[in-house]
Amino acid sequence: MRRLRPAGSVAELPTVTFGHRSLMWWGTLGFMTIEGWTTALLIACYFYLRQNFETWPPLRTPLPSLLIPSINLVVMLISIVPAWLVARAGKRLDALPMRRWLVVSSLFGIAILVLRWYELWALNVRWDTNAYGTAAWTLVGFHATLLVLDVADTIGLTLFLFIKRMPPKTFSDAADNSFYWYFTVCLWIPLYLIVYVGPRIF
Amino acid sequence: MSPAYDGHLPAELTLTDAAIAEDAAALELVWRDAPGFWGWLTTVDHKSIGKRYIITAFLMFIAGGIEAAMMRTQLARPENGFLGPDLYNQIFTTHGTTMMFLFAVPMMNAMGLYFVPLMVGARNVAFPRLNAFGYWCYLVGVVFLYVSLFVNMGPNTGWTAYVPLSGPQYSPGHRVDVWAQLVTFTEIAALAAAVNIIVTTFKMRAPGMSLNRIPLFVWAQLVVSFMIVFAMPAVATGSTIMLAADRAVDTQWFNPAEGGDALLWQHVFWFFGHPEVYIIFLPALGMVTPIVETFSRRRVFGYTALVLANISTAFFAFGLWVHHMFATPIPELGQSMFTAASMLIAIPTGVQIFCWIVTMWSGRPRLTTAMLFVLGFIFTFVIGGITGVMLASVSFDQQAHDTFFVVAHFHYVLLGGAVTPLMGAFYFWFPKVTGRLLDETLGKWHFWLFVIGVNLTFFPMHILGLDGMPRRVYTYLAPTGWGSLNLVASIGALVIATSIVIFIVNVALSYRGGELAGADPWHSSGLEWATPSPAPSYNFLHTRIVGSRHPLWEPTADAPVLVGLSMQRREVLLTSTFDARPDSRNHHPDPSIWPLYVALCMGVTFIGSIFSPYFILGGIGLAFVGLFGWAWQSSHAAGHELIAPPDAAEVA
Repeated sequence: MRRLRPAGSVAELPTVTFGHRSLMWWGTLGFMTIEGWTTALLIACYFYLRQNFETWPPLRTPLPSLLIPSINLVVMLISIVPAWLVARAGKRLDALPMRRWLVVSSLFGIAILVLRWYELWALNVRWDTNAYGTAAWTLVGFHATLLVLDVADTIGLTLFLFIKRMPPKTFSDAADNSFYWYFTVCLWIPLYLIVYVGPRIF
Repeated sequence: MSPAYDGHLPAELTLTDAAIAEDAAALELVWRDAPGFWGWLTTVDHKSIGKRYIITAFLMFIAGGIEAAMMRTQLARPENGFLGPDLYNQIFTTHGTTMMFLFAVPMMNAMGLYFVPLMVGARNVAFPRLNAFGYWCYLVGVVFLYVSLFVNMGPNTGWTAYVPLSGPQYSPGHRVDVWAQLVTFTEIAALAAAVNIIVTTFKMRAPGMSLNRIPLFVWAQLVVSFMIVFAMPAVATGSTIMLAADRAVDTQWFNPAEGGDALLWQHVFWFFGHPEVYIIFLPALGMVTPIVETFSRRRVFGYTALVLANISTAFFAFGLWVHHMFATPIPELGQSMFTAASMLIAIPTGVQIFCWIVTMWSGRPRLTTAMLFVLGFIFTFVIGGITGVMLASVSFDQQAHDTFFVVAHFHYVLLGGAVTPLMGAFYFWFPKVTGRLLDETLGKWHFWLFVIGVNLTFFPMHILGLDGMPRRVYTYLAPTGWGSLNLVASIGALVIATSIVIFIVNVALSYRGGELAGADPWHSSGLEWATPSPAPSYNFLHTRIVGSRHPLWEPTADAPVLVGLSMQRREVLLTSTFDARPDSRNHHPDPSIWPLYVALCMGVTFIGSIFSPYFILGGIGLAFVGLFGWAWQSSHAAGHELIAPPDAAEVA
């Protein structure tokens, strides 16, 4: 082997980075791609099954209710604000507001999960009634698993920041957590339109 | 410690032997696994995990091979009574499932997880605990399938598990559930590996290794990882979300009586299943390039063409799935489109073959065992490719559909296109993993018997298929006249088995007493040869700076390195995505038991879900405890920069 010749040092490079400079951001992006693509496939399956029916929802199956899903949509859109404030505080390496807005985000998350439970029943059909019920439950239910994951992550991060000393990369982790939350909320917009509004149109 | 660590450019410094030895000892302390069995359970070293992945996947190759041998024994003569119809169904299903889900994809991932960090000059993969988690999930799947098979619960509806046969009405009991959940484990493992390889390649390359300089093996792994990210969700959707739910909680995805659709299964399955073939054989093509380069003693011809061929193959691979469904009612325009796409994909593959031939033609080839396997690959794979183009034609496919012709075609592609280069890769990289060379004489026996065996087994199947012998039948009658060709195929299987036994003997003998390899036994060009064999726990003493596509063939007197990564804790260098400029230092995780724990919870969740949906809640609950522990462990750090929790007054 050839002799090693030092040509420079990396000792002064930063250890906390944000966005595409951080590994966890890329990991989050990978997870978002997988989950987003799975959702896209499920949407394709939903419309594939639509072809088997004359009417949608099928005969004798009521339309889904709009009230609770619309409320939850608004709550989710508002929840982007505290998530954004968490990310901003994280990028400024400012622990105090970051912790505060994480608490607010966690409360939003819990509220959204509770509403999601009622949202499932607002479909007004069971998953085993017919293929329409199956597809609708799956779209809403799959998105619910993403919500549970991110809310659990948010609550865990908040809890940690209250009970123990955390390494500086937590700032970056909090920003990535918000990044994932934007994705989860944005993903819901087409799902809401397809599952709750769509049957009124097609 | 060498004086190079003060953070200033030490242009005039040289690393003395004493400083190198001291640095190596310090890094070993930081990066080594915990001692003993605990260390084995908690390791996050990509080499340890890659090695056990490779060994487990190879054991699965043996298991799948034994199943193949059982089928060939049964089919050796008409009306044979070695296997009954039910057991035959379980065996061919387990064979296909094992080879596709538990051998081929994990093996290719494992080669990437082992070698990509070494080839890009990194200390580890980007997410080491995710890597461990992926392996443990895979292992849960392996154990699950084989325990099920031995308790007479082996899946029996083919590796494609078509509905309605695999639905609740026609397959009561738990056999198909085993298949559906086994797929879940392998898809988790494959996705974990894919994300790891993508991020490792994008963010952890050695400085100077811009995207247009990364080795072609790494390109192949990168492209395939993207394919996994877009293909695996389809089978996850099909098996876990749809088929398992139809069977467990009465959803109606595939039940036509309630508006479900059996063809939907074929669409989602093949949207994954066709790219799957390329997920298996593109990495193998990536293995061919460094072998051809090294033993032709010249740089590969057409680097850019090879990269573009890789990428275009990946794109086309997602536009072919319907050619598996030509026997279903598909609109004519759709059939034409998928026929065209299926033929089109032969072009980038052909480009790669021509690039290698030109490289060999214009080089000075050395016929080592690894190189012989490459030649065997080109011969066998081209036959498989040509029958693939034949099957792309709808009218031909209608005749050959579900016959032994198809079996012959895909075994030529998979054994010829993926396993043959893989064998070459074993001979090529075995010294890097173990420090010793495999025996060349035994290797040549292995090669000739393997290639002859593959052709002897599968070539007659083309004729059997054209003669009308359907696949997946447990026996046939003597008047069909299929007996002699089946006997030839069965003898071929015996020849393949002999070659594999020779390989295992070779590995066993060489592992203990093979010729010592040194760092770079083949005078190859990749970075993985720039560190001792086997590579130390920290991979590279210092971060290499790369000035070309062939760092070890650069005509420089010494090797420029960057110093300054921590010697006291696990730290890796991150570089910019395109140009690989040094960007930041990243604290890397220590060994951890949590990946194993969470993978076991996944086992409880998915295996339990077969018996009761409540296991899902319990398993996920337990998994959350594990994720909490996982996060708690990664939040351990020392130093004055820590974010302190609020004091009592602040909380009040």
